[in-house]
Amino acid sequence: MEFAIISALNGVIYGLLLFMVSAGLTLIFGMMGVLNFAHASFYMLGAYVAYTLSSLVGFWAGLLVAPLVVGLVGLLVERYLLRRIHAFGHAHELLLTFGLALIFEELVKLFYGDFPVNYQMPDNLRFAAFTVFGTDYPFYRLFIGGVALAMFLVLYLLLSRTRIGIVVRAAERLPSMAEALGHNIPLVFMSVFGAGAALAGLGGAVAGAFFPTNPNMALELGVIVFVVVVVGGLGSLKGSLVASLLIGLFSSFAVGIDWSLASLFDLVGLGPWARSLGGLMTMTVSSISGTIPFVLMLVVLLVRPAGLMGERS
Amino acid sequence: MKSLAAVAILSVGAALAVPAHADPLKIGIIESLSGAQTSTGRLFAAGVQYGVKDINAKGGFNGEPVEVVEYDNAGGSTGAADKFKQAVADGVNIVVQGASSAIAGQITEDVRKHNLRNPGKEIIFINVGAEAMALTGEKCHFYHFRYTTTAPMRVNALVKAMKAAGDLGTRVYSLNQNYSWGQDMQAAIEAAAPMGGYKVVGEVLHDVNKIQDFSPFVAKIKEANPDTVITGNWSNDLLLLMKATGDAGLKVRFGTAFLDQPGNIANAGETALGHYIANNYDNAAGDAAFAEDYKKVMGHYPLFVEPQTVFAMKSLQLALAKLDFHGGAIDTTKIALALEDTTYDSPVGPISVRKADHQTIRPVVVSKVVKDPKYPADGTDLGFAPVSVVPGAEAIYPVQSSCEMKRPS
Repeated sequence: MEFAIISALNGVIYGLLLFMVSAGLTLIFGMMGVLNFAHASFYMLGAYVAYTLSSLVGFWAGLLVAPLVVGLVGLLVERYLLRRIHAFGHAHELLLTFGLALIFEELVKLFYGDFPVNYQMPDNLRFAAFTVFGTDYPFYRLFIGGVALAMFLVLYLLLSRTRIGIVVRAAERLPSMAEALGHNIPLVFMSVFGAGAALAGLGGAVAGAFFPTNPNMALELGVIVFVVVVVGGLGSLKGSLVASLLIGLFSSFAVGIDWSLASLFDLVGLGPWARSLGGLMTMTVSSISGTIPFVLMLVVLLVRPAGLMGERS
Repeated sequence: MKSLAAVAILSVGAALAVPAHADPLKIGIIESLSGAQTSTGRLFAAGVQYGVKDINAKGGFNGEPVEVVEYDNAGGSTGAADKFKQAVADGVNIVVQGASSAIAGQITEDVRKHNLRNPGKEIIFINVGAEAMALTGEKCHFYHFRYTTTAPMRVNALVKAMKAAGDLGTRVYSLNQNYSWGQDMQAAIEAAAPMGGYKVVGEVLHDVNKIQDFSPFVAKIKEANPDTVITGNWSNDLLLLMKATGDAGLKVRFGTAFLDQPGNIANAGETALGHYIANNYDNAAGDAAFAEDYKKVMGHYPLFVEPQTVFAMKSLQLALAKLDFHGGAIDTTKIALALEDTTYDSPVGPISVRKADHQTIRPVVVSKVVKDPKYPADGTDLGFAPVSVVPGAEAIYPVQSSCEMKRPS
């Protein structure tokens, strides 16, 4: 019971963190059709901007301003880079954003050095929210989860309940029709990209204070964020949320499970034989917990190629 | 025209002054200078640069300054294989590398094959940081020298020192990364149990630098209720593990191998207090002259893997001092033989090469994180204070039976 509750708690919070980072990616893909490889770089940028600002104007101001700064960078990237190559198709967009990711990483190293920087949450946030089975549960983890949930609600309501949402969705479905109705489509695309980048920036500013802020943080989360978006269904916000939670829970529970193929053989009394073989037979689930998201992606792609909640186009 | 003639006369004069054209000794650093491991690769390169600066200040070698060429392996063994070919083409005599055992495995094999195919033009591989046992085991060869510790050396020293200080306890948890290094650590932790008088209450091998959230592992550790967690984790895997443990309010002591990686102490903060590290060197353990001189030349006190790299270069310097090729061709086999017979008195104790497998016999320094140390880390008020220096003879383990070294005839 203790194991189940703690694992569930850890899994949900980690899932929400993944959602926080992938929300912007989903938004950009869903509303613009751009697969943004540099998305995790915006996440890293958010953490570094917040780190810089927090020493000047304090933690909370840094948290608020960092997304704006990163959003602005996003706007500029869309306006001066992506827009020029949009007509050449997805491959070019992918290459451009991939190049940007490499450039952002080296730029960060150039200005902040190779080592992790000391970006910390303020001391008044460093306390245990509650205690479960003798283990303190840090408040900041709940804070991360809360920010992610708020992000989901705001995005969801914005897209489905407001006029802005209608315009954005129209711009994605039928751009020429929306344009004929008098909407400025390039402006819409630019804003969506900026908003997506800002969301990643907020994610970075919040998570960077909990996890180390280092030049590799984009690389570390970059891949997993793509897994989330693919599993959830490219462009589906709800799908991303479900996929993040699934991945969080799977990874969390996997760590505590010491099953191996050999324990399957135990059921038919061949356990000792299987254990004597070693190798794959004795590899425990916990030692490959980092691989589980990828297995999940494989299964989802085989069974539902469009993702859990994606639409077949 | 007149000035041109003067230049010509001058250069003839200069050419006459130097006895013919000597072969410079070339050292190639094949290191992770871009990508995820830049932070470590850069430090290895800095250590080499510092060491060679001193060799050149004292007249270089073979009548020429020693040349250092940096090659970026981009953090992968493919890149390393590629850059090794480049280094061969550039006439490099000695290859230096440290970050990642996987890359070292590639380089040591490439060096071995190169030396088989090019007798008389052998290349030496000075390994300053790759600690996988296989490199001095089944992969050992005459031209590979390891100037760092290995898992059993670190674990044995750690266990000894922590036990003597009364901080080890009787229940030890082994948490390591699932690749050669982590597996070596786990084996060493199991092997040291009778000596340390503890029971291994849990063992975990996890993916390398893929895990963002260590709280499930902390829950697992808590279940086993250990006194000490011994881990060979480095980089994020160590930092995130320590932070998650601290956040959960779990009171365990960590015995580590790479806690001194820059940024770790600042990021972990008070959580790091009381944790141990077994390492090649600690600024506060040895003669302060080295640390001060390093700071004067490089602008900071020696960090993380820099000291062991410097000590490797110092050993090379001593070996070179025994040789004289009179400005002629450089015979790397003679350099390798001289290295075997060189003992360098480092600030923490003598470092010598064991001939059977070319592992260095060297002291291991065990330190503890304390407040207000002599050399604060990362600009905080925390840092390392040495607990004990385990001499080389005590830290070393028997030669692996898998090493069959073919010596030059």
